[in-house]
Amino acid sequence: MTNQPHILVIDDEHQILRALRTILTARQFRISTASTGEEGLALAAASQPDAIILDLSLPDMDGVTVCRRLREWTQVPIVVLSVRDSEQDKVQALDAGADDYLTKPFGIDELLARIRVALRHAASQSQVDKKTIVTAGPIHIDLARHIVLRAGEEVKLTATEFKLLAYLAANAGRVLTHQSILSHVWDPADADHVEYLRVFVRQLRKKLEDDPEQPRYLLNEAGIGYRFLSDD
Amino acid sequence: MWRFLANERYVVPFLLSVVSTAVVTAILLTIRDELQIATIALLYLLPVGASAAVWGLWPGVTAAVAAFFSMNFFFISPYGTLMVHQSQDLVALIVFLGLSITISQLVGRITLNLARARARESEAIRLYELSLTLSKLGREEDILNSLARHTLETFQADQVQIFTASEPQPTLVQLPVNPGALLPASPTALVSLQGSQRLLGEIRLWRLNKPLELLEDRLLRTFASQGVLALERARLTAAESRAHILEESDRMKSSLLSSVSHELRTPLATIKASVTSLRSEDVPLDAEASADLLAAIEEETDHLNQLVGNLLNMSRIEAGALRLKRRWNVLAEIAAAAAGRRRLSSQGQRIELDIPEELPLVYVDDVLMEQVFNNLLSNSQKYSPASGIIQVKARQQGEGTIWVQVNNQGPAVPAADLDKIFDKFHRVTTADQITGTGLGLSICKGLVEAHQGCIWAENLEQGFAIRFTLPIHAGGETPRIPSQ
Repeated sequence: MTNQPHILVIDDEHQILRALRTILTARQFRISTASTGEEGLALAAASQPDAIILDLSLPDMDGVTVCRRLREWTQVPIVVLSVRDSEQDKVQALDAGADDYLTKPFGIDELLARIRVALRHAASQSQVDKKTIVTAGPIHIDLARHIVLRAGEEVKLTATEFKLLAYLAANAGRVLTHQSILSHVWDPADADHVEYLRVFVRQLRKKLEDDPEQPRYLLNEAGIGYRFLSDD
Repeated sequence: MWRFLANERYVVPFLLSVVSTAVVTAILLTIRDELQIATIALLYLLPVGASAAVWGLWPGVTAAVAAFFSMNFFFISPYGTLMVHQSQDLVALIVFLGLSITISQLVGRITLNLARARARESEAIRLYELSLTLSKLGREEDILNSLARHTLETFQADQVQIFTASEPQPTLVQLPVNPGALLPASPTALVSLQGSQRLLGEIRLWRLNKPLELLEDRLLRTFASQGVLALERARLTAAESRAHILEESDRMKSSLLSSVSHELRTPLATIKASVTSLRSEDVPLDAEASADLLAAIEEETDHLNQLVGNLLNMSRIEAGALRLKRRWNVLAEIAAAAAGRRRLSSQGQRIELDIPEELPLVYVDDVLMEQVFNNLLSNSQKYSPASGIIQVKARQQGEGTIWVQVNNQGPAVPAADLDKIFDKFHRVTTADQITGTGLGLSICKGLVEAHQGCIWAENLEQGFAIRFTLPIHAGGETPRIPSQ
């Protein structure tokens, strides 16, 4: 066995499979491909990949269903691919357990970044001592001690602001849906109150970002949720 | 028959004609000795004529018979009996009877004719009113309602129902909506609405106190035929306008298709040319040239992607399939995201945002609003000079509206074209360097209007602006934000 990460790509378009196979192999990944949902599920069970790239529109079954069925037995990171204008599908896939999404057409740098974050997140989930310090540019977040520094100076955050920032930072690099953030930081009953997020994210940006209008770390994903970009 | 007699409307005239004869008798009795039989006979013609004039033929005849007996009994000797001694009295009596019956017949017929003429006149007026009203109506629903109302009023009915087997589902119009009394299952009168090709439906009429007379029945049928005419006219007009819309949309589609195929081929041509030259082994390219070609390929694929997105949005707007996912949003965040994206493909123009922080949250679909800002900015980038400034400004206007302006230093648009720039495929200039499908602004219009806003264009003293308004609440409840 090599220690090259093994990636399973499930997509029904052969041109995309061909391109991804070439590109990812060149980047030192091992690749398997499947062109239907059933084939993908069988291959995932047989070959235990380190990450799965899953297209949401498959000929035989809904990509969201594939996500759900994978999550019944594995926590392998899943990055879903989808076309623009289908935010609802993306949110559904994310809520069904996908780790991240990418909109077709995508640049290969974006795809690699998503895969890296997903692999790193999966690794940190299995470790006993999780990372408790997150840095992003001048921002330094100590999740264990509840301390946030910006350019070396402590930033005063309210309890909710910290809880929100901590949740985003603990999942740095991954997109988190509105619903997931609201139920985690507030209450599952508040999962529809996107307005809370709008207000609190704006407050956080004012305290942390150089230019709150052009955020670099607390990023909005229109129609889906938020993403915190950390340094690594 | 008994029911007929029991009905006071029919009995009262007869009673009154007898009573009027009795009154005349009583008056004449007081001056019996001063009168001759000829005068008495003449005076007795008064109640006969009056009864025939007021109540018609048969009450008149009744009065004549009553007068005949009264005269015989009270005024022809021997008084108090129906016997006649003198032959001239007998002649006078018989002549009187014949004359009075003739008079009552004549008067009665005139009265009847008058009543019929009045009825015909009122029928004509009712019919005229109905056809006048129906001719002004274009919608099937209005026609049915108006027909029902006219029928109800004209026939003083208790309930009128009009049933039509219209597409897509049959409709039933009923007036009054809540009938006061419980109606019998079968209507008093039922007339079908027979169209030229098929049966359109029927009119059902309930009138509890009396059945429809022959004339009324005829009028009801005329009403029905007027209704059929109006309904068929309305359906014909609707079919015609549908055909017109289809024709128009066909024309739009072919125009879209030609515009789109041109717009899709332009970036494809660049991509194809760049890729083939990169793959070609004939002439080696230096690193800079390769990088240039690769950048062109990437730009053109983004362009293609944007084009496809615009087309998709346009077809959704056109098909009415746009579903807004409204949420409370920060307008500045949406505008900034679009501006960030547009800055990547800027040709040197600066994009400035002027959106006050105290602006309230707005209840909009953030993905679609970002598309609006993206298209407006992209449009500004196309038309403004290379080092120009593009501004995005937003202000609250009154209680519930947000006003947004995107302006650039581009050339003024002729006043006559200010509305047209939101039309599909409309381009103000025919300059070759301007690319795009001419869909961007019409998509903005579609999206802003889907948010119940307005969008319009204005020439500024220096430059050009597109402005739009958005309702802040748009049916959503004002959000309450927990302070902690």
